[in-house]
Amino acid sequence: MEILLLNILNGLSWGMLLFLIAVGLTTVFGVLGVLNFAHGSLFMLGAYLCMQTMQLFDSFWLGLLIGPLCAVFVGLLIEKFLLKRVYGRDVSFQLLLTFAVLLILDDAVRVIWGSGYHVVEPPAILNGIISVAGQDYPVYRLFLVLIGPLIGGLLWAFFHYTKWGKIIRAASFDNIMAEGVGINVPLIYTSVFALGTWLAALGGALAAPQQSLIPSMGEKIIIESFIVVVVGGMGSFPGAFVGALMLGLLESFGTVFAGRMQMAIPYILLAVILLVKPTGLFRKGV
Amino acid sequence: MKRKVYCSLLVLTFILTSFIGAHAASTAKIGFTYIMSGPFSAYGQFAKQGAELAIEEINAAGGINGNKVEGFFEDSTGKADVALRAIRKLVYQDKVDMLIGLDSSGVAKTVVPSIEQMKTPLIITHAATPDVTGSVCNKYTFRISLNLAQNVKAAALLAKETGAKKWTTVGPDYAFGHQSWEYFEKYLKELNPETTFLPKEDVAFPPFKTTDFSAYITKVMSSKPDGVFISLWGGNLIDFVRQASSMGFFNGDFQVLFSLGAATEVLTALGDKMPEGLWVGTRYWFLANDSAKNKSFVDSYFKKYGAYPSYNAHGAYSAVYAYKAAAEKAGSLDKEKIVSALEGLKLEIPTGTIEFRKGDHQAVTDAHWGKTAADTAYPHRILKPVKIFNGQDVTPSVAESGCSM
Repeated sequence: MEILLLNILNGLSWGMLLFLIAVGLTTVFGVLGVLNFAHGSLFMLGAYLCMQTMQLFDSFWLGLLIGPLCAVFVGLLIEKFLLKRVYGRDVSFQLLLTFAVLLILDDAVRVIWGSGYHVVEPPAILNGIISVAGQDYPVYRLFLVLIGPLIGGLLWAFFHYTKWGKIIRAASFDNIMAEGVGINVPLIYTSVFALGTWLAALGGALAAPQQSLIPSMGEKIIIESFIVVVVGGMGSFPGAFVGALMLGLLESFGTVFAGRMQMAIPYILLAVILLVKPTGLFRKGV
Repeated sequence: MKRKVYCSLLVLTFILTSFIGAHAASTAKIGFTYIMSGPFSAYGQFAKQGAELAIEEINAAGGINGNKVEGFFEDSTGKADVALRAIRKLVYQDKVDMLIGLDSSGVAKTVVPSIEQMKTPLIITHAATPDVTGSVCNKYTFRISLNLAQNVKAAALLAKETGAKKWTTVGPDYAFGHQSWEYFEKYLKELNPETTFLPKEDVAFPPFKTTDFSAYITKVMSSKPDGVFISLWGGNLIDFVRQASSMGFFNGDFQVLFSLGAATEVLTALGDKMPEGLWVGTRYWFLANDSAKNKSFVDSYFKKYGAYPSYNAHGAYSAVYAYKAAAEKAGSLDKEKIVSALEGLKLEIPTGTIEFRKGDHQAVTDAHWGKTAADTAYPHRILKPVKIFNGQDVTPSVAESGCSM
């Protein structure tokens, strides 16, 4: 029974982190139609910038606030000077370009912070352990379990109840029509990419106290994020949430019940979804 | 007049080229192959630093048999095909006299059988798989670093001392993790037949890409072992230690042995987050002995790079000196003569006196373990006490290694 609860918590905290990465990826795809390979690198950049801010101001919370914002600035430059030029082009151009950005960001981080390992401390208030069903459990992981739905809920409210949110949804639904009724679509694109970058970098900053920082940390998480996006349905917001939870829980329980097969679980899930419902769980037909 | 100028120019060119030619002949070329890019580039960097320090020292002291030493560095990227291409380039294009390197066991297993065709001696300084000085050993391949079997044998001796009866493991889910556990089971069973080991489905082998170890930590803790043998390394080890300590893994409910826990890059990253009093092993520990060799290595390394040398820096550094010793013994840079000189060569390196065994070319070298302890004089945990296992006691016999040349 305790094992069950602990595994649920393990799965939820990992799933929520995946959700933050995947929701940015899926939003950018939904609105811009761009599959952003560099999303994982923005995740990594968020973690490093959070660490750098922490070293300057000695506060995790400032790192969480400022780090992702600095990453957004980098994201804006990428959108303005690179991505903008390939929007109308074939998808292979976008893949090549974002892959190039991935390589550039990874090596830039290597040049600035070196190729060694770095660690980030969680803030004192979240650093302790708490007793869950008779076993010690880190508070920081519970914090992750809570912060995921919080940010998800805020995003959902933003998309559904604010004017900006509605405009973005309209532009993603039919950008030519949106432009026709006087919406500044290029501006929407820029702001959505900035939002996607912020989510990736926030995920990185939140992951930093949990895992060691190395320049390739983005490459590890991007694959699972892609799986979440495909499972949930490309461009679907609730899909990313459900997909991330499924993957998080499956991986967590997989270590207990599947043994070495655990490694294959994300890919089996992906294959099953592609066979049964190729559009993903939540993709609405247009 | 014009003719005279041309003539003298021609003569000058001739003299210059012959001078360069003569210069090239008096160079000992060493080709290094390490992981210089990607997630594990830190290991290549350490090795390069160690190698460059040794080359600098040797050249300042007059070179090898009067030859200036020149290092050529290639990136293996950790992939077998890339590494093999890099080594071919070093041998056939750069025409190196000696090969040193190899981080990954997977790379080493692919590269070693091809070394025989290249007829160039190779000293492995990091890859730990027993197979390269065992089932796939050959005349040209030597290893100066502690291999998996030696390290794990020391772990088993230590495990016996702890008195723990029921053992489990956490290791990376590839050959290294599985082999480490198999050897640990085998050696500990021999030392103490009463020990039990959890079956394969109950031990934890997280995939190499894992960053969240919580599920594995929960699994191991709930299996209520007396001892846990951990072969994780690098970033996996850092993540594991931090997550495990926040989940109460190190509260003393069971013994914990980390076969590669005393790697300086891991200790540096973890800082005071590395719990105290844990048994950790390593291939080289910079405070293990006070010999003049070790002191001078640690001091000059620290002076040059501002950090304490890791085992990979030590491996590369020592291999260059081993080459020097072999060349002096052979009185030549001839590859075949170097191979014969390396066989059975005994020399002192910072970690202690080693001997390249004739039978399998594995260096008989001491294994170092110790308990993590805080010391304000160092930026990271150090080992106190340090436990040194004699090379003779932890190196399996040639017959056991399965090598036949």
